[in-house]
Amino acid sequence: MRKKLLLVISTILILSLIFSACAKEPTENADNLGAEQHEEKPKVEQVLKYGTDAEPSGLDPHTISATAAIRIFGQIYNALIDVDDDMNFIPELAESWEQPNDVTYIFKLRKGVKFHNGREMVADDVKYSFERVLDPATAAIGQSYYNMIESIEVLGDYEVKFTLKEPFAPFLTNLTSLYGAIVPKEVVEENGNLMQVACGTGPFKLKEWIPDNRIVLVKNEDYFEEGKPTLDAIEYYVMTDEASRIAALRTGNVHLVKLPAASKPLVEGNEDIVIKSYQSNDYTYLGFNLTLDKFKDPRVRQAISYAINRQEIIDMTYDGEAEVSGFVPSAMGRWAIDYASEDLYKQNIEKAKQLMAEAGYPNGFETTIAVGLLDDIRSTGEIIQKQLEAIGIKAEIQNLETGQYIDAWSNKKHEMMAGRNGAGSDPNRAVAFFFSTEGSANVWGYSNPDVDKLCDLGKKTVDEDEREKIYKEAQKLILNDCPNLFIASPMEYYFVRKEVKNFNPWTFNAEDFKEIIIE
Amino acid sequence: MRAYIIRRLMLLIPILLGISLMIFLIMQFIPGDVISGMLGIEETPELRAQLEKKLGLDQPLYKQYINWISKAVRGDFGTSFRTGKDIFPEIMSRFKITFQLTIMAAIISWIIAIPLGILSAMKRSSIIDGFVRFISLLGVSVPSFALATLAILLLSKGFNYYPSVGYVDITVDPIRNLEIMFLPAIILGSSMAGSVMRMTRSSLLETLRQDFIKTIRAKGASEKVVLFVHSLKNALIPIITLIGMQIGSLLGGAVVIEQIFSIPGLGLMTLTGINQRDFPVVQGCVLFIAFVYVIVNLTVDILYTYIDPRITYKAGR
Repeated sequence: MRKKLLLVISTILILSLIFSACAKEPTENADNLGAEQHEEKPKVEQVLKYGTDAEPSGLDPHTISATAAIRIFGQIYNALIDVDDDMNFIPELAESWEQPNDVTYIFKLRKGVKFHNGREMVADDVKYSFERVLDPATAAIGQSYYNMIESIEVLGDYEVKFTLKEPFAPFLTNLTSLYGAIVPKEVVEENGNLMQVACGTGPFKLKEWIPDNRIVLVKNEDYFEEGKPTLDAIEYYVMTDEASRIAALRTGNVHLVKLPAASKPLVEGNEDIVIKSYQSNDYTYLGFNLTLDKFKDPRVRQAISYAINRQEIIDMTYDGEAEVSGFVPSAMGRWAIDYASEDLYKQNIEKAKQLMAEAGYPNGFETTIAVGLLDDIRSTGEIIQKQLEAIGIKAEIQNLETGQYIDAWSNKKHEMMAGRNGAGSDPNRAVAFFFSTEGSANVWGYSNPDVDKLCDLGKKTVDEDEREKIYKEAQKLILNDCPNLFIASPMEYYFVRKEVKNFNPWTFNAEDFKEIIIE
Repeated sequence: MRAYIIRRLMLLIPILLGISLMIFLIMQFIPGDVISGMLGIEETPELRAQLEKKLGLDQPLYKQYINWISKAVRGDFGTSFRTGKDIFPEIMSRFKITFQLTIMAAIISWIIAIPLGILSAMKRSSIIDGFVRFISLLGVSVPSFALATLAILLLSKGFNYYPSVGYVDITVDPIRNLEIMFLPAIILGSSMAGSVMRMTRSSLLETLRQDFIKTIRAKGASEKVVLFVHSLKNALIPIITLIGMQIGSLLGGAVVIEQIFSIPGLGLMTLTGINQRDFPVVQGCVLFIAFVYVIVNLTVDILYTYIDPRITYKAGR
């Protein structure tokens, strides 16, 4: 009997040993990390600990577009150029550029920039990177950003020429995106892709990645900007649970988390935590499925626009901290029109009822509003549901899980849908991508030939003032057609421990950690 | 006995095949697919076609299933659509963590539940019994996610304590590992303890009422001997059954607890797989979980024969 029991116990032990052996070691560097943490250092460790809400599925800048991933590979890779606070183009991997004619761009590259594997970045890498993006086998997400490129010519180690098929005004803007990050060929070829490995030219390099737990980046000593980065490392801890992120921040286990406005009261009165906010270039919307009869008549959509009170939505959802916005939010500067003063943005129930009656719905109708998991979108949907009762529209809220929500969005499985879009930094994106007939994000079935013409013109017009006029005209047309109702452009919030200095998020590069100091 | 075990293991084959087919079909029917999730707003028909080709989703459904299953029987669970990583090694490394959490939770629950259950049965209808029954009812009724959130909130607000962020493997730093795992294990353990406590109490009371106990008492055996030598062992069968079921389901991943405490276990992997519609990951995880569940059940059945020698398994019965 005892022998048998012994046998059972030893079998269990052996099994658990086998499990341990089969399991891949999480990281070869974990030992070093443990050792470092036991060392006593007189000065404060320059390590930024970031509580992130989701784990990236991979770090390939050409094929991944999720925020959770961009947050991390944004520290690892560089694009050719960048934009500054005022949306002017500034050098990044290219130190200067010229445009001899409408379809030709010549970039002079920075000398001495090194990839994280130690090799110098040269013009061949630029050519390779864009060819990789345009290769259908890569299935790169940013193909449409660059598919106007006719050819890429290497003029020397540090000089590269892009020739476009036709003039394309947003070309430089698109080059600021990491969809066109410069990557080294040998690393891609060795690993097949850049999902689990990373080798860029950015201020930080990938040190370890423990799935569903943490990603550690360490300082790139060879980074091309003198004296940067000031941090030795950034540790991203994946904490999907919001309460856990707040608790970890409160106790100093992490320095920085990004949270919605609704979490602000949870840290009020805590002197160790500072809230840093900036105006996003996102906007919230209520979209209509224009293939349904009841939404085909623009008068119905206009009636709904008159029926809702945008300021009330902002007050209740964002505690007043958001702007009434259109689909070109004010963060996009010169390109935006003043939406708040538009007649369609002023609540007018009488006019709404009249329009509904004219459209043949004097008593309203029944419909649904699909919402996803974002708190502000749910709240927006619920308030709109309430506000629409005034004109007889009975809307039922459909709470959808993310997969279902995306499915409903892309396959018109909804009637009305509340959502949130990022407008980008060029009006071509904000207008044509979402509202031209062929725009890939035009999932609503919206089509206005005049808008299409303007979008086409805007794309080819290089003169900025001329472009501004074109896109402002397009905005007015779309606004009047109401394919979506545009509601608010919210703020974004970082909750930061007070020991973190020099962190100033802004719209077009919220997570610039290059100069952060931990005190 | 050996024939019985072999027969049970053979039964695994149709069970696993059935489960794999079911999961495959369910993943086809739930709205949303992996490509929409990957591309989001950037989706274009061309990009979708390119990705379908890259991931092999352009093949007819039956072919996709056959491709997958023919590799799976050879131990190759394929690679994740989203991360491109091999699934089987990932499952093993995640399972190691879930295994540790389960064992810790189980031990904690036994330490709490079995002595209290015995005490409660011995002092039946006393204040102690009432107290234990109240505690166990609480354990059964309060869901572990509520307990976990409450614990995190109280500890962080009241004591400025948060169980260290960032999982560390037990082979790397056992002390930190235990610090991280302790709180989730206690919460899981106390949730498990409620039902074990109730089962111990009722099973023991049942046994104490039986005739052979009367006989032993009549023979003049002390209460200690009655309890520990004669009753407890007989009362163990339903307790072991319950514990087996609890362990079986916990080994499949304590999804919510793993999520709240950011423990990279099997549950979290499965959940992420489902959320991202990453079919090979879900398929692999579910198959593995089913396999573990069957093995745990088999182990429990074998344990019966040690606890109660009257139980035998004959082949063909």
